Amino acid sequence: MTLTQTLTADDFAPLAKAQHPDQIVRPSLSYWQDAWRRLQRNRRAMWSLYLIAALLLFSYVLPFVVPFDAVGQDLTQISQAPSLEKKSLVVDTQPWPGQQVRPAELARLQSAPFDPATRVTGLTLVGEANTESVRLAWQPVAGAKAYQVYRHLLVPSGATDLGLPLGQTEQPEQVSYEDRLKLQNMPYYYSVRAVADTGEVSDYATVKATPRLAISVRAALSRGLITADQTDSMIGREVELQRHLMGTDYLGRDLLARLVYGGQTSLFIGIVAPLLFVAMGIVYGGLSGYLGGRTDEVMMRFADFVIALPFLLFMILFRVAMGIGPGESGVTPMLIAMVLLGWPTAAKLVRGQVLQLREQPFVEAAQLMGANSRYLILRHMLPNVMGVVLVSLTFSIPSAIFTEAFLSFIGMGVAPPTPSWGAMCNDGVKSFMSHPHELLFPALFISLTVLAFNLLGDGLRDALDAKMKG
Amino acid sequence: MTQFIFKRLLSGVITIWFIATATFVAMHAVPGDPLANDKAVAPEIRRNLEARYGLDKPVLQQYGIFLSNMLHGDFGISFTQKNRHVNDIIREHFPVSAVLGVLALIIATVGGVVWGALTAVYRDRWPDSVIMFLVVIAVSVPSFVFAMLGQLGILAMNEWLGFSLLPVAGWGSFGHMLVPALVLGLGTMAYLTRLMRSSMLEVTSADYIRTARAKGVSPLRIFFKHQLRNAILPVVTVLGPSIAAITTGGFVVELVFAIPGLGRFFVQAVQQLDYTVIMGTTVFYGAFLVFMVLLVDILYGFIDPRIRVGQVRG
Amino acid sequence: MNEEQGETMTAANTPRERAQLEPGLPALEVNNLQVEFAAQGGRVQAVRGVSLSVQSGETLGIVGESGCGKSVTMMSMLGLIPMPPGRIVGGSAKLNGRELLGLSVAQLNKIRGVDIGMVFQDPMSALNPTMRIGEQIAETLMIHRGMSQREALQRAVALLDRTKIPEARQRARQYPFEFSGGMLQRAMIAMSLACSPSVLVADEPTTALDVTIQNQVLELMREIQREEGMAIVLITHDLGVVARMADQVAVMYAGQIVERGTVEDIFYRSAHPYTLGLKAAMPDAHVHVNEKLTAIPGSPPDLFAPPEGCGYCSRCDYAMQVCDKHLPDLMAVSRGHVSRCWLQHPEAGVEVEGLYQPAAKGSPSC
Repeated sequence: MTLTQTLTADDFAPLAKAQHPDQIVRPSLSYWQDAWRRLQRNRRAMWSLYLIAALLLFSYVLPFVVPFDAVGQDLTQISQAPSLEKKSLVVDTQPWPGQQVRPAELARLQSAPFDPATRVTGLTLVGEANTESVRLAWQPVAGAKAYQVYRHLLVPSGATDLGLPLGQTEQPEQVSYEDRLKLQNMPYYYSVRAVADTGEVSDYATVKATPRLAISVRAALSRGLITADQTDSMIGREVELQRHLMGTDYLGRDLLARLVYGGQTSLFIGIVAPLLFVAMGIVYGGLSGYLGGRTDEVMMRFADFVIALPFLLFMILFRVAMGIGPGESGVTPMLIAMVLLGWPTAAKLVRGQVLQLREQPFVEAAQLMGANSRYLILRHMLPNVMGVVLVSLTFSIPSAIFTEAFLSFIGMGVAPPTPSWGAMCNDGVKSFMSHPHELLFPALFISLTVLAFNLLGDGLRDALDAKMKG
Repeated sequence: MTQFIFKRLLSGVITIWFIATATFVAMHAVPGDPLANDKAVAPEIRRNLEARYGLDKPVLQQYGIFLSNMLHGDFGISFTQKNRHVNDIIREHFPVSAVLGVLALIIATVGGVVWGALTAVYRDRWPDSVIMFLVVIAVSVPSFVFAMLGQLGILAMNEWLGFSLLPVAGWGSFGHMLVPALVLGLGTMAYLTRLMRSSMLEVTSADYIRTARAKGVSPLRIFFKHQLRNAILPVVTVLGPSIAAITTGGFVVELVFAIPGLGRFFVQAVQQLDYTVIMGTTVFYGAFLVFMVLLVDILYGFIDPRIRVGQVRG
Repeated sequence: MNEEQGETMTAANTPRERAQLEPGLPALEVNNLQVEFAAQGGRVQAVRGVSLSVQSGETLGIVGESGCGKSVTMMSMLGLIPMPPGRIVGGSAKLNGRELLGLSVAQLNKIRGVDIGMVFQDPMSALNPTMRIGEQIAETLMIHRGMSQREALQRAVALLDRTKIPEARQRARQYPFEFSGGMLQRAMIAMSLACSPSVLVADEPTTALDVTIQNQVLELMREIQREEGMAIVLITHDLGVVARMADQVAVMYAGQIVERGTVEDIFYRSAHPYTLGLKAAMPDAHVHVNEKLTAIPGSPPDLFAPPEGCGYCSRCDYAMQVCDKHLPDLMAVSRGHVSRCWLQHPEAGVEVEGLYQPAAKGSPSC
């Protein structure tokens, strides 16, 4: 061993004790400071917190900055997909007199026999087709009493495929038709055939029309897109339509505006209801656990019974029982029902905590030192229960939001026209196949909120180290 | 064990009574007239109707009649379909919901256990991340969205195949059940996956697993004989609430897929304010759920020896 | 033992018979074992070169405070620590002359429970709560001895009987929660002895039990050792247990052995200040009730970054300049008695009261 040779007497001199070996240098942090620090280190939980803040800003602050109209209907833009800007032709919507056959000509035609094998000829569009009107004209057919007009989204494969007519001309001399029925900016196939007195029909002709987006002068005026003195000058010109960033719903209401105001309803119910029933749970459970004994037993038995009630069924039942008067939004009945059914879970949680705490040495010590109940509850019980309660509250919010969505979805939630994300989903389902955005946008907001609160709850649970059952 | 079952049965009966009473109170304590939504009814017809539904008697007597009817399993006559007995409605539509629910429950439980075990085995590696990401999505998206997407999925698949492999809506064959049951079980499956994962992780680090390894038990045998069995216990305890979730979740799925189950009928009754159907179905569902929870409790007792072998300690 | 199974086993059935086949070969021999755990930003050196050996029929006591690496030493060589983060860095561990380190799980599974049995601290959590006691014992036999379930269960009852569990037949059908702590530890011992291992590792076997039960369990272990002649490695922090049970003792501190010798060496000729400290911290029945227990001040060093010098230096009352800078080797104090302390250095020249320093005594003190 080489070291042995190099050792000197100095090496064996006593070592001065430098420090007390037990010294611990670490700043002391309170329970909440420590929890907050741990939460901040949880990236997912922090992002969730930002997301929740963003959603609250979106619903509660944004309307103060940008004016939104959640109930106004833009009938020119029904079920529009999300877009940045849309231009529309301003058109005059005076009824079209149409085209008639001159009387002499008519008389000649009427005297000729009707031949079912003839085919309507010269079917054309008159003027440019737009979403306010599509104008059709065709050549008269000998012996025809009237003409039937059909509209299809696909080319009809044969006479049997025509189905019911869109309309029928009223006079035999009329050889034109104006379609003003809910036109949209997409291709249509118009078919026309002649009908004789005998009810016999001729072969049909088909023409394709893709109406251009248009708005009537009156509608443009009432929406404030043009001014009163522009009414004549703007006809035939393009005007920029109201923007619907996220499109419109089936009643032409702005989806973004409804999402903002719907968020107010959904977030209000989702956050306030849990706050209320958790508060009630704290009082009930705290009292039960604090009083203990027989009272505790009876109180908890009752809580167990309420837990046994099937939650959603009774939400529906209460909602039916309370009803909604005219002009009411239905938010209050839902809140009441949620509080009536939601409190026992929090109560049981708090009671369990209180029972545990009562056995803790520090509570006994405080009691021995003569602390009164008020002090005990405020100083020792409440702060120690709050962690678990906070976590439980955070997890209650997603389920409350889901409950609102579920009830609104089956039509038992808030009453129209009050928007809520759930109610919007209910509306969106009807047009899901053709306009999926009307369901997907509100569903996305629900999902984001639920996701954020769930992740935040996970983070809080870890940070507070709150062991919860279930 | 018999004593345990007896106690549970007794508390189950009391719970059902409580549910029935709560239902009655909810429907009677609140001002509101069940006949009010029938358009202007002539007074004598109204009296007839009231007599028919027993609304002319004092509330306490009504309660007595209600309880005795419930006890006899008589839920009364529908308000809107005047000649239909609520019992018949339940008898006709409940089996449909039950079949759908059982299928969903099987999908949810098997899926939850398998996925949960997988994530625990591949802890912190990519299968774990992928599955847990999907789980987070599944618990965050409302069930009706999945229902709609499921329907869209069937449509798209049929279009791609060029023939109708699965029906989009309706009821009858196994093909009708598959996607609705999957959609219905999805949320519960996600929840059970999370539960199973944390339960597996807890069991994995348990002392008795180390003991088994020290005994020279092979990893495969440890997984099946020691881990899985202990990890499944918590999953069994939440089967009761899961059944409740699937039952109420069925409302939406039956609505979207046009399945003639009791859930869809209940929602319709609610929308039409058909009081007898609402009350009857609520009590029926309540009793059913209490019974299921009871069944799960007893099942758990059989699986967990600590309960089965008459609580020696605790 | 059944004769017809002789073929699948070695001719010798008990550890004593096996040991007689190769006299002098230690049942378990560990050499310079090093174990690390990967932690955030580095590695914790949990075991830093531990060497020890135990002969058949002998008991080796490993003492030390919690976290000193005494359990990890035993667990790691059997592959019972989670790997990763755990990792065996070096050294060797031979069971009856056969190297354990580097074996695959399948190979280890043929040794664990067969040649080496383990008894853990808390029997309540160390036994599977949902399996009957009998099944858990029988499992070992079914796996290693290829017995049928019936046979194995019968043998399990015999083993329970052997560990003095009354009404063994009924008890075998019960679950762990129906047993008391002491009974469970007996069952645990029965389980670890099922295949007559050469070495029994008992990790704090009596810590979770109350004192009277402790005695019974220890007595049982001794009795079985006398009959079967297996080696026992007894891991404990209780010097009283060591004094009763051990033939050889290894004192561990901060992942190293600081003193090793016979039980008499350790107790009557303690050659390391840490051993002195442990002895002083032992509750003594003869002292007055209101006398305070002597504790060793401070805490062990952080094994994330082990100190350059002696790990005990900062807590040692007799620390010298050299202790802070240089890690001492294990120095022979007497035959078979070693101590890792500079005070045992021939040139130390410092006499410490109560410390056995044959080398220092001889040298002139200044």
